[in-house]
Amino acid sequence: MTDRTGKCLCGAVRYTLRETPDAFGVCHCTMCQRVSGGVNMAFTVPADDIEITGAEHVRTYRSSDRAARSFCGICGSNLWYRSTDPAEVSPGYSIGFGSLDDKSGLRLAKEICIETKPESYALTGDHPRLTSQECLT
Amino acid sequence: MSTRTGQCMCGAVRFSARDVPDTFGACHCEMCRRWTGSALLGITVPVASVEWQGEAHIRTLQSSDWAERAWCQRCGTGLYYHVTLDGPMSANYEIPVGLLDDLSGLEMDSEIYIDHKPHAYAYAGERMRMTRKQILEKIGIEGAP
Repeated sequence: MTDRTGKCLCGAVRYTLRETPDAFGVCHCTMCQRVSGGVNMAFTVPADDIEITGAEHVRTYRSSDRAARSFCGICGSNLWYRSTDPAEVSPGYSIGFGSLDDKSGLRLAKEICIETKPESYALTGDHPRLTSQECLT
Repeated sequence: MSTRTGQCMCGAVRFSARDVPDTFGACHCEMCRRWTGSALLGITVPVASVEWQGEAHIRTLQSSDWAERAWCQRCGTGLYYHVTLDGPMSANYEIPVGLLDDLSGLEMDSEIYIDHKPHAYAYAGERMRMTRKQILEKIGIEGAP
């Protein structure tokens, strides 16, 4: 697997991934709807596999007891979601799919919190669609 | 048309908008994709019909020669895309539908920059789908990415 790169809209925040996952997911929870403007698509990488440049431009908001969400302070791009669980020493990054420069080879693996997806849109495909309750169990 | 309310993720910025249409569109251009992480699902709302609360938290960037984008500086939620060129398009915001408190009754009726959409996902259903070339010819903006 080759290194993959990504960046926000304005390019102030960039990253290089040492390993690229082969899949991404969609979350339809109301927080993800708002922070992404609709459909939050993200892939997850371990913290050791990402190198970030322009980190001084990253702004982070503690969005719940469990997690924080980061965005670019220059352009407002939705960057990533990370757990704030103290049991996780170095939590992974769930990075906005759209920031990736080369999206080839990644497949949509699942949709979660499907019970809060608005009826106004739907994604095609036969991937699993899980309720928030199903994600927790 | 209806009156709808919405807010950013953290609630620092809220709005009420009159004359909100019952349809919205998706933009798959690279700029919208990087900004949102997926696609901009935007609903066209007259600038004059929107009442903002928490405006002190709104930050904007002129993201191209013809448009600006706004977000909540506290939580990062994208608030609107706004054409700044003189002309009829500057009278509207494109507000992400994810901000709305209630999306009931709304229908996605168009997708633009469909030739720039990643192959990995697609929105179900039949609607008007326009390529970059088609939409730029329609709106008459030259030099867009």
